[in-house]
Amino acid sequence: MDSQANSSTQSFLARNDFLIRRLHSLSGLIPVGAFMVVHLMVNASVLESPAAFQKNVYSIHGLGSLLPVVEWVFIFIPILFHAIVGVVIVAGGMPNNNQYRYAANYRYTLQRATGMLAFFFIMAHVFHMHGWFHADVWLENVVHPLGGAQFKPFNAASTAGLALQGYVWVAVYVIGVLACVYHLANGVWTMGITWGVWTSAAAQARASAVCSVLGVLLAVVGMGALFGIRASGSGEKLEQAIQAEDQMYESKVASGEVKANEHKRRHEEEAEKSESEDDLAALEDQSAGATQRE
Amino acid sequence: MIAPAHDHHDQPSSFEVRVLRQAGPGEPSHWERHQITYEPNLNVISVLQKIAAQATTADGKDTTPVAWDCNCLEEVCGACTMLVNGQTRQACSALVDKLLADDPSGIELAPMSKFPVLRDLVVDRARMFRALERVHAWIEVDGYGDRGAGPRESQEGQEFRYPLSECMTCGCCVEACPQYAKVELTKHVDETDEQFEKRQEQAYDESFLGAAAISQAMLFNEHPTGHMNAGERLEALMAPGGLQVCGNAQNCVSVCPKEIPLTTSIAKAGRQTTWHAFKRLFDR
Repeated sequence: MDSQANSSTQSFLARNDFLIRRLHSLSGLIPVGAFMVVHLMVNASVLESPAAFQKNVYSIHGLGSLLPVVEWVFIFIPILFHAIVGVVIVAGGMPNNNQYRYAANYRYTLQRATGMLAFFFIMAHVFHMHGWFHADVWLENVVHPLGGAQFKPFNAASTAGLALQGYVWVAVYVIGVLACVYHLANGVWTMGITWGVWTSAAAQARASAVCSVLGVLLAVVGMGALFGIRASGSGEKLEQAIQAEDQMYESKVASGEVKANEHKRRHEEEAEKSESEDDLAALEDQSAGATQRE
Repeated sequence: MIAPAHDHHDQPSSFEVRVLRQAGPGEPSHWERHQITYEPNLNVISVLQKIAAQATTADGKDTTPVAWDCNCLEEVCGACTMLVNGQTRQACSALVDKLLADDPSGIELAPMSKFPVLRDLVVDRARMFRALERVHAWIEVDGYGDRGAGPRESQEGQEFRYPLSECMTCGCCVEACPQYAKVELTKHVDETDEQFEKRQEQAYDESFLGAAAISQAMLFNEHPTGHMNAGERLEALMAPGGLQVCGNAQNCVSVCPKEIPLTTSIAKAGRQTTWHAFKRLFDR
């Protein structure tokens, strides 16, 4: 009975291989790739000012209680689907770059390597910043002891910046973001062949040039976002960021635009790496007082 | 008289040839060294003929002649495809002067790695021919009566199809493909030849078609009469082991000796299956 059930699930996957591979191809662009582009651009708005970035984060959090649903349906589940099918695809390939040293063959192998890198990076990144799940038991016993869930949406630039001060994390993010960007740019190019958008060799070469330019631009945006956020996590910029974020929080709570939510704010005891603890504590006290007065 | 391709004063008096030998299907393989007296304008086939005539290895031991396949000797039949210095190509068009200029240490010959070895350099490419059957790579003739003139052929269509028609099913495209995994079954003791062939056919039918068969499906889908069976071919391309296995490494088009635009065929197959899938979903 078991083996029968097993073979029927296998044949279901085998029978629908074409559909699964096309869904895998599509999910790489919509919603996963599109989400990544928006994500990097929103983060790069920190280069304008921490307040500009904070404003964008508020509009995302404007979804309120719908946000976790949107996260799971349009981001986490599509990424998991794309990743799991991707691992099966990688397992079925036998790279032969030593024997056949063509540029497209290197791109093939690199697409698989960056896919695997991106998978591990995204798992680590979501744990580091978000914590995967927001159940209290999970957060207290697993995430906080391991240093996850560092990002507090109502102190966006400062908490993300503080989380990116270590050199190891910066290296992980540089490699991870560049792997994701390559994987998307090259993935758009192969997607055009898979779905039959560009067919002739000349059209494929033109599409490859366009995808390369888009990839380089996206890499610049990604690196700008990463180092822009990192800069808001230390020194004077950190203090300015916290001040701007707290001001914005207070005024939004005062006007009723945002419901007070301490879970989404930075707390002193969690910020161990802070350089000027007393100043920050003073700021924190001020803002707490302001919140109480409302 | 054909003028020699090179000035041969620099050439050695003899050169080494290493051959990967295997006595039969499933047997272990081993390298064998042969020393060949140099002559101008040799190709790999004539080297193999010299090896057979010598019947002695470089170490002076008696040996059996190396088995290989060949037919046309002008790179149009595909029978002599093998790995020459690790690259898939036809032995007949692999010229010794050029090979020695690229690598003076000698020439290495091995059977193709994606097909079952029958003996030495001879492989069984039945899976490729089975793939042609899977995609219905022919034009249906469904009667003997005079059906009048066929549909008119456009110049554009002819120019698209002619290069695809040059395919000789040599297997270079699939040999270089990182997505095309070798399928080799061994015959059970209690199995008849027919039973074994049937089991092998089933295994082939679940595995990747490869660029050659995908391109042939496009050749016959673009043919005015063949177009009538286009849906059937697209169904085969969408079945397990079909077009979706392609990983866009594009080695196929790089190694194809006939320079067939295989990646264009693959992208066209992608477009046709996209529309076919829409039709299947929304037109019924």
